[in-house]
Amino acid sequence: MISTGLFGKYGGVYAPETLMPALEELETAFLRLSQDAEFLTRYTGLLQTYAGRPTPVYHAANLSKIAGARIYLKREDLLHGGAHKTNNALGQGLLASMLGKRRLIAETGAGQHGVATAMAGALLGMETEIFMGELDMERQHSNVLRMQLMGAKVHAVKSGGRALKDAINAALREWISSVRDTHYLLGTAAGPHPFPTMVKFFQKIIGEEARFQIIEQTGSLPDYIVACVGGGSNAIGMFTAFLEDQSVELIGVEPAGKGLETLQHGATLIKGSLGCLHGMISKVLQTSDGQILDAHSISAGLDYPSVGPEHAYLQESGRASYEAITDEEAVEAYKQVARLEGIIPALESSHAVAHAMKLAAGKGSNSRILINLSGRGDKDLEQVLKYVG
Amino acid sequence: MSARYNKSFNRLKESGQKAFIPFTLLGFPDRAQCLESVRVMIESGATALELGIAFSDPLADGPVIQQAATRVISSGFTVSDAFELLAEIRALDSDIPIGLLVYYNTVLSRGGEEFFRLAGTAGADGVLIVDLPPEAYLETATICRKFGLASIFIISPLTTEERFKAICNYASGFLYAVSRLGVTGTEDRHDEQLASLIVRARQCSNLPVCVGFGISSPAQAEKMFHAGADGVITGSRIIEILQDHNSRNCHGLATFLTEMIATAKFFPVASCCQ
Ligand SMILES: Cc1ncc(COP(=O)(O)O)c(C=O)c1O
Repeated sequence: MISTGLFGKYGGVYAPETLMPALEELETAFLRLSQDAEFLTRYTGLLQTYAGRPTPVYHAANLSKIAGARIYLKREDLLHGGAHKTNNALGQGLLASMLGKRRLIAETGAGQHGVATAMAGALLGMETEIFMGELDMERQHSNVLRMQLMGAKVHAVKSGGRALKDAINAALREWISSVRDTHYLLGTAAGPHPFPTMVKFFQKIIGEEARFQIIEQTGSLPDYIVACVGGGSNAIGMFTAFLEDQSVELIGVEPAGKGLETLQHGATLIKGSLGCLHGMISKVLQTSDGQILDAHSISAGLDYPSVGPEHAYLQESGRASYEAITDEEAVEAYKQVARLEGIIPALESSHAVAHAMKLAAGKGSNSRILINLSGRGDKDLEQVLKYVG
Repeated sequence: MSARYNKSFNRLKESGQKAFIPFTLLGFPDRAQCLESVRVMIESGATALELGIAFSDPLADGPVIQQAATRVISSGFTVSDAFELLAEIRALDSDIPIGLLVYYNTVLSRGGEEFFRLAGTAGADGVLIVDLPPEAYLETATICRKFGLASIFIISPLTTEERFKAICNYASGFLYAVSRLGVTGTEDRHDEQLASLIVRARQCSNLPVCVGFGISSPAQAEKMFHAGADGVITGSRIIEILQDHNSRNCHGLATFLTEMIATAKFFPVASCCQ
């Protein structure tokens, strides 16, 4: 490898030898193409004309009224495909096609990354196969149908907890068997180097736009930025442009599931410990023997027992802090945003909203909170109705 | 100690034989039957043993070994149990080389120093950490040397010259060549570049080259020997046999091992294309 891919002691490349040559090839291609004018022109062209960038920043006046502080939403739910995942899928898809790969494979939890990869596959004329936990195929069924409609083959993963972790295992195993002609389009800022760095590169446009937009609208930087954290791609995409702005507090929100005091959560940064999973050193939820535990969240996209390595680093360095929101609080926020703003947020993003509303209490109307509304929540409707009962 | 590997492979070389290395998971299908199956392996004349410690997310393994690992973990068999069983296995035979096959998180969660100390004390001669590439191996190499453990590495048909150099810089015991791209399993579909992989391995190292992944019959073993391999490693097929024969009767295993070992012993070295 050309670089180590380390963020402090986190990250790196911890992969079987059978994958290492593919990771080296990918790193080399990424380093070259991320500076290549033709690639960047095609990529930004697609983001604008195909995917609908820039997405707006919206002052949510009704939410603000009951919250106390001023709430702003970065509307990634308006991006084509319905979530921030499109930024990354188009970038990596284009890179893979320029590398001469003919096939894309990907994991998906909520199905949003699977949908984004299926879009990229259809657009670029590449064969596409998606690995999805059986549990997630049930709870995000509409996204399975969308992927299939766009020509992707969806494989049900039946091992382990049948969720995101197991889908990543299955995709990595498939990649080991097919590295010569296949690109693994990983959907979050996790996994072996160069994925965390590459996914951040394709997602950092969220924060770059938002920083410009909020300054334009309000004349200054926000006080707080809040984003949900599954593997960490929408959060790192939002945080990166603000890292040097010391006055801006960066807050990631993990899923507390049924409560941090139970074993049924996915709050890896808050409750996990140092470990190695999916090719990286990061925090993981594990037993004292180093066996990885299944996570739990009502939100399939956050249901993951590890996290992108840069978040572990930002937590350790103190630049960002991480909080957790329960299933119940997230569902409450989902309904609240729908009722007050006429926007249905993804259950993932609802975690960020729920925390922002808590944070806002008592802050006063001069305080500004920018939330990354990472995706739209049509996919979660059945799930929420079932939960509410 | 890696000395056991050197001794065993030298002896084979002198007598013109090939190596056969059976693999199983420590604690599979349970502690007693595992010990019994390893006894059969030793008595059948295995050159060395490759023993895995079960990990929850074994990403280089196919369904057979995945399911076996899940079974071991859910039976409550711990990493400490694995070391205890390893010590019992070592007590069966003081000469046979024993390699441990692990995933890096199993090492990390104990701390490298403690893990390799326990492995050495229990009687291991080498370790293969599936997901620890040479890029990140420096610290581990020092600790392994300290406890006299060989560092076994995987090489694949896609391994580049640069990577070969980095691997050979640390490797000892033997080189573990994968017969094909893919995960472990009994599927027979070896890569057409296997023979050239073995030639390239010889250019950078004097270590014996043993081929694993998908070697589940004497005919396949013979193909690997023709391609120039010094030995073969069989895992998934053995796990399958142990699954089917869940009585204490290891007869099926003994029959299979005897055939494989006969193939390795009597392979006519003169016909080998190296
Ligand atoms: C809308 C939405 N937000 C957030 C996530 C969580 O992923 P990440 O942490 O990589 O942004 C997902 C994942 O599926 C998602 O669909």
